Amino acid sequence: MTAAVRCDGIVQIYRTRELEVVALRDVDLVIDPGETVALLGPSGAGKSTLLWLMAGLLRPSAGRLRLNGSDVSRLSPRALDRMRAADIGVVLQNPSRNLIPYATPAQNVAFAQRAARPDRRRVAELLDRVGLGGNRHPHAGRMSGGEQQRLAVAVALANAPRLLLADEPTSQLDAASGEAVIDLIKETAVETSSTVVVVTHDPVVSEALGRTITIRDGRVGTEGRHGEDFVVIGREGAVQLPPEFHELLPPGTMARIEPLADGVVLRRAEPGDDGDETRRAGR
Amino acid sequence: MRGWGLTLRGLWERRTLSLIVLVVALVPVATASVGPIFAESAGTEIVRTTLAESTPDERGWRFTAPHSGVPAQAARFAAGGSFLHPPIKGMELLSPEATSLTKYPLMWQDGQCEHVTLLVGRCPAAAGEIMVSRAAGFPLGHRVRVTGVIERPKPDGKSRPAPLQVVGVYHAPNPGDPFWFGRNLFAQSAGFTEGNGDPLFTVPATRESTVVNGATWTDAATVVIDATRITAADLPRLAELDASAQQLANADTETIVFSGLAGPLGELRSQTASLGVPALLVIAQLVGLGWLLLFLTVSDLVTARGPEIALARLRGHGRLRVWRFGLAEPLVLLAVALPAGLALGLALASAMAGALLTVAVPVTVTGQSVLAGAAVLLGGVVAAGLAARNVAVRPVTEEWRRTPRRTARGWIIDAVILAVTGLGLAELLTTGIITENSGQQAGALAVPGLLAVAAALLSCRFLPSLARRLFGPTRRAGGIGVFLALRQIARGPATAGSLIVLGTAFGLATFATAAWSVTSANFERVARIHNGADAVLITRTESVADFRKAVERADPSGVRAAPVLVLPGPPKMLATDPARFAHVANWDRPAASLTGRLGADVAPRVTLTGDRFRLRIHPVEIPKYWEVRMFADLRVPGEATVKSIPLGAPDRAMLEWGLPPACRTAPCELRGLRGDVSYLSGADMDEHPLLAIEATEVATRSGGRWRAIDAGLTDPDRWRGTGSAGADGLTLDMAAFTATKMIPATYPEELPALVNSLTGNDFTPGLDQAYLVRQAPVPVGPAVPGLDVPGGVVDLELADRVAFAIHPKAEFQVWVAPGHLAAVRDGLLAQGLPVYEPRLMSGLVARYSSQGPGLALMLLLMAAIAAAVLALGRAVLALYSAARQRGYELAALEAAGARTPALRSALLLEQLIILCAGMLAGVTSGVVAAWAALPRIPEFVVPPITPPLLYEPSLPLLAAVTGGALLAALVAAAVTAEILLRGVRPDRLRGAPG
Ligand SMILES: Nc1ncnc2c1ncn2[C@@H]1O[C@H](COP(=O)(O)OP(=O)(O)O)[C@@H](O)[C@H]1O
Ligand SMILES: [Mg+2]
Repeated sequence: MTAAVRCDGIVQIYRTRELEVVALRDVDLVIDPGETVALLGPSGAGKSTLLWLMAGLLRPSAGRLRLNGSDVSRLSPRALDRMRAADIGVVLQNPSRNLIPYATPAQNVAFAQRAARPDRRRVAELLDRVGLGGNRHPHAGRMSGGEQQRLAVAVALANAPRLLLADEPTSQLDAASGEAVIDLIKETAVETSSTVVVVTHDPVVSEALGRTITIRDGRVGTEGRHGEDFVVIGREGAVQLPPEFHELLPPGTMARIEPLADGVVLRRAEPGDDGDETRRAGR
Repeated sequence: MRGWGLTLRGLWERRTLSLIVLVVALVPVATASVGPIFAESAGTEIVRTTLAESTPDERGWRFTAPHSGVPAQAARFAAGGSFLHPPIKGMELLSPEATSLTKYPLMWQDGQCEHVTLLVGRCPAAAGEIMVSRAAGFPLGHRVRVTGVIERPKPDGKSRPAPLQVVGVYHAPNPGDPFWFGRNLFAQSAGFTEGNGDPLFTVPATRESTVVNGATWTDAATVVIDATRITAADLPRLAELDASAQQLANADTETIVFSGLAGPLGELRSQTASLGVPALLVIAQLVGLGWLLLFLTVSDLVTARGPEIALARLRGHGRLRVWRFGLAEPLVLLAVALPAGLALGLALASAMAGALLTVAVPVTVTGQSVLAGAAVLLGGVVAAGLAARNVAVRPVTEEWRRTPRRTARGWIIDAVILAVTGLGLAELLTTGIITENSGQQAGALAVPGLLAVAAALLSCRFLPSLARRLFGPTRRAGGIGVFLALRQIARGPATAGSLIVLGTAFGLATFATAAWSVTSANFERVARIHNGADAVLITRTESVADFRKAVERADPSGVRAAPVLVLPGPPKMLATDPARFAHVANWDRPAASLTGRLGADVAPRVTLTGDRFRLRIHPVEIPKYWEVRMFADLRVPGEATVKSIPLGAPDRAMLEWGLPPACRTAPCELRGLRGDVSYLSGADMDEHPLLAIEATEVATRSGGRWRAIDAGLTDPDRWRGTGSAGADGLTLDMAAFTATKMIPATYPEELPALVNSLTGNDFTPGLDQAYLVRQAPVPVGPAVPGLDVPGGVVDLELADRVAFAIHPKAEFQVWVAPGHLAAVRDGLLAQGLPVYEPRLMSGLVARYSSQGPGLALMLLLMAAIAAAVLALGRAVLALYSAARQRGYELAALEAAGARTPALRSALLLEQLIILCAGMLAGVTSGVVAAWAALPRIPEFVVPPITPPLLYEPSLPLLAAVTGGALLAALVAAAVTAEILLRGVRPDRLRGAPG
C-alpha cells in the first residue's frame, strides 16, 4: 500500500536577506492512508512549514516528499495545482486567511470546489455541518473568529479531499465547538477514508486523533499512539530527548549508552564515575 | 458568468482604491480624448466654412465628354464619398441661331426647372420644347431654329433646322447657385452679350428626335460637395477624390474634368496641419502621465488582492482561472473607464465647441479619440498584467509570510530615461519650430514629459538618502514624529511611487500653465498689435479731409477715435492723426513722444479753383535750336496721378492754360512748376547758356475774373527744387540737358515715419502707393500698433500733401478706444457713412484660439487641470495606501504607548516632505521644459512677423497654480491622515500577519 505521505530526510531552508533559517532538518515520516495525525510542537518548530510542504505549496530544499506515491519535487506547478484542487484540503493557521472576506459562506465554499460550476447541495450540507447553514450569514469578513474557523474547515472539505491538512483549526473555538469541528474532521475521514493531519496545541484534539507527532527544532521528536509517547530514532540514530527529561539529562550532558535486550538505556556519565554511582546519585 | 458578482463585490470591498483607479483612468482618458474630438469638430468647422466661402466651381467637379459615358463615370466617382451630392447630369450643344447667329447653348441639366424662376409658360417636357430667358427675347410659342440641330432627314433628302418651340420664359437664376457650377451661363441676362445667348433649356428627348449638324452634344455631370455634411475626417478622402478625378481625365482623353477644388484644398491643408503638433504634444504628455499613474494605482489594486489570488492558488485553481480572477477587477475598472472617459471627453468637447466654434458642427467620438483613450489605458493593462504575474508566479506562501528580499531598484531604467531625456532635449534645442512633417522629432515632443519623469526619478533617489542622513540627528534630537516620518521616507520604495507621480504631475502642470500663460499672452500681444486698437471700424470717404472731419464729428473729444488710412505697401503704411493715434492705439509708449516726432514745419498748400491758370514771368530769350516748354503740375480731385498743364515757352510774360474741369468746383492744388528743353537739330552742343525763368505771380480765372493766388513765390521757405524763391519771385534755373522744377514745400523732403523695422532709407508707398517720398525712419522697436508686417506710421496730413490721390486699396479705418465703439460707430453712421462690422481685438484673440495651435492651448490648459487633479488624487492615494500598509505598525506603536499626536505629525510630516519634494522636482522640470520647448512649439497658423513673441511665463500665475495644488494636496493629505488615524485601533493587531 502506498503511503499517503512519505517524507525522506526532508530539509527546508528559508533564505532571507541576511540569513538562512533551517525550518526543517531531516524529517522522516510516513503517514498511511486513512490515518488521523496530530502535529504537535512548540511555536517555530516547523509545523506549518511541514504542512505547507505536504500541501505542495513549497518544495523541500532537500530530501524527498511523496504524496500518494508521487514525488512532489518532480511534479510541475500545474500538476501540483491539479493535485491541490482534487486531493488536498487546507485550513491555514490564520482563520481569516482561508476566506474571501467579502464573499458569503456559500461563495467561499464554492470557491474551493474544483468544478467551475458549484455543487450547491454539498455546499449547503457542509455549511450545515459546521453550524453555518441557511442564508442569514454575513460576509466571511464580518464573522467572528470562531465562525471563520468553522467556515474554513467547511471550505477545506469542499472538494472532498483525500488529504486534509489543518493548521490549528480550533485555536479560536471554545471547547464545545472545537470538539464539534474535530468530530466533523474525524467523521469525514472515516466516511471518505481520507488522511488527516492537524497541527494543534490542544490536548483534547490530539487525544481525539489516532497518532501524534511532535516536531521539535525542525525534527520529528516523539510519536504517540493511543496516549503513549515514543521517541523516534532518526537518521543516523539521532534521538530527541523530550523536554520533560531535560532536567535529568540537561543539554550538553555526557551520557553512557547501555545496551539491553530490546534497546538501550541512557545514563549520565560523570567524569571518573562508573555507571552504578551515577544511578545512585540520580536517585 | 460565474464570478461577476464576486468581482463587483470585491470592487465594492476596495471601493476607495477602485474609485481612485477609476478616476485615475477616467481623467486622462477624458482629457486625452477631448483633443481629437474637439480637433475634429474644429476641423469640420474650418472645412465647412472654407467650402461655404468658396465659389461653386471650387466645391466640386464637372465632368464633360462628347459621349454618354460621363454620367456613369460621375456616378461611380460620387459613390466614393458620402459627403458628395449625387451627380447632376446634363447635356448641351452650342450652335448659332439661324437668323441672328447669336450662339445659344441648347442644354438640359437634371433638375433645371427647380433652379430657374419661370416668368411665363412652363418647363419643357417633350422633344422639341424649349424654355428661354427673358433677355433672349423670344416670345412664347415662337419656334427657334439653331443650325446645329436638324430634323431627321426626310425621304426627300432635305435637312432643315429642327424647330424648337418656346414653351416657357425664365428669369436668369443666381449664378452662385452650386447647381450651375459657377459657369458664366447667363451672360445675356447680365448684359454682356458678345454674341452669346442664355441657355435654351430643353429635355433629352429633343436630342433623340433630332440629328446634329456640324455640332456635337457634350454630356456632362456635376458632382458637388455637400458642405453641410462633410467633416474634417473626410479631408484625405476629398484629396484622393480630387486626384482620382484628374486621373480619370488623364485616362480618358475625351473626358475633361473642371474643378477649382485645389485652391480650398491647399488652404485647408495648411489650416489643419497646424493643429497636429501641439495636439500631439498634449496627448503624448497626457498618455505618458496616465500610464505612470495607472501603472502605480493598478499595481496597488492588484497587490491589494494578493491574499485572494494566493487563496485561489491554494485551492488549486487552474492558471487561467487564477489570471481571470486576479485581473477581473482592474480590467472591469479599465473597461468602464474607457466609455466613461470618452463620454466625459465628449461632454467637455461639446462644451468647448459650443463656446468656441461659430458654426454648429457635429461633435462625435472619433477613432483617434478612442485610440488616445485606449493608449492611456494600455498603461493600466500592462501594469495589471505585470502585477498579477508577480502575484500569480511567486510562491504562494510568500503572501502569508514575506521573506525580506533585496528590493533595490536598478539604475538601468533610470539611466535609459535620463539618456532619452537628454537626447530629446538636445534635439529640441538644436531644431527650430517643430513642424508637422518632421516626424523624427518625436523625441523632442516628449521632452516635457520626459523631463518631468527624469526630475522625479532623480528626486526619488535623492530624497531617501537625504532622509537617511538626517535620520541620525533626529533620532537624538527630534521628536518621535520626525523620526518616524524620516524613517519611512528613508525606506525608499514607498516614497518613490508617490514622488514619481507627484513630480511628473507637478512638472506637467507647471509646463502646461507656463505654456498657457505664454501662449495666451502672445495671442493678446499679437492681437493688440495686429488689430492696432481695441476696435477697428472700416468706412470710406471721398478725401482725407472728409475722413478727418468725419472722425472729428464722431468723436469731438479727440481721444476716443483716430482716423487711420492703411496702405498695403510694402512697406505697409498707416497714415493717421498722431494726437488721436497716441490716445487710441494699443501703445505702451508715452503718447507725447510719438506726436512730436511725426509732425514737420511745412508751407501752406497752393490751392487753385477756376477754369484757367496763369503764370506771370519775366520773358527770356530762348537760344537757337532750343525748344523750351513750361508746365504746371496739379493735383486734381478724382485723378489718380499728377495732372500737368502745358504753359508753352517762357518767351512771353503771361503763360496760361485751361484748368481741368474738376478744378471749377473743387479745389485743385498746385504741386509744381517745371520746364524742360528739347534740342532741335543743328544745336551747338558746346554752347551752354543758362536760362533763369522768374515767375512773379500765379493767378486763376473764375467767373471771368483773374485773381492772384498767394503762392509765396517770394518766400524761400515755401518752395524747393532746382531754383530759388526770393524777392524777385520764383526763379527756375534751366541749364542745358536738364529739366527744372520747383515744388511748393508743403511737405518735408523725408516723411517722418515710426517704423517697426529698419529697412534702410526706403520710400513710403504714400496714400496713392506711388512711392513719391522717402521716409525719415524713427525706429520705435519691433512692435507698432496696426503693423503686422514691416512698415511705418506717418502723419495723415503730411501723407495727404505728398499724394496725388488715395489708392483704391487704401482702407479707411477708424480706431476706437475701449468702451467707445458704439458711440463712435453711431457717430459715423449718423453722417451717412458706410460702416462695416468692427474688427475687435478680442475677436482676433478668439480666432487665434480657435485655430489649430490655439486649440492645443485649450487642451494644454485642460491637461494642466487634469494633471493637478491627478497629483492631488495620487497624494491622497499614497497616503492612504502607505497608512494602510502601516496600519499594523501604527496600531503597534499606539499599543506601545506612542501618542496619537506624534503619529499624526509623523504621517503629516512624511506627506509634507514628499509633496514638497515632488513639487520642487516638478516645478523645476516644468520650468526647464517651458524654457526649452515653448519657443519651438507653433502657436500661430502663420507665425507673425511682428510683434516678436515672448516666452516668459507669468510667475504669479505659476506660483498660484503650484501653490494652490500644493495647498489642496496638503489639505487632502491632512484629512486623509485624520480619517486613517481614527481607524487605527490596537485591536487590529489581532489579525496581524504571523
Ligand atoms: N518565510 C519565511 N522566511 C524566513 N523564515 C521563516 C519563514 N517561514 C517560517 N520561517 C521560520 O521557520 C521556522 C519554522 O516556522 P513555522 O513552520 O511557521 O513554525 P510553526 O508553525 O511550528 O510555528 C521559524 O523559525 C520561522 O521563523
Ligand atoms: Mg505555525
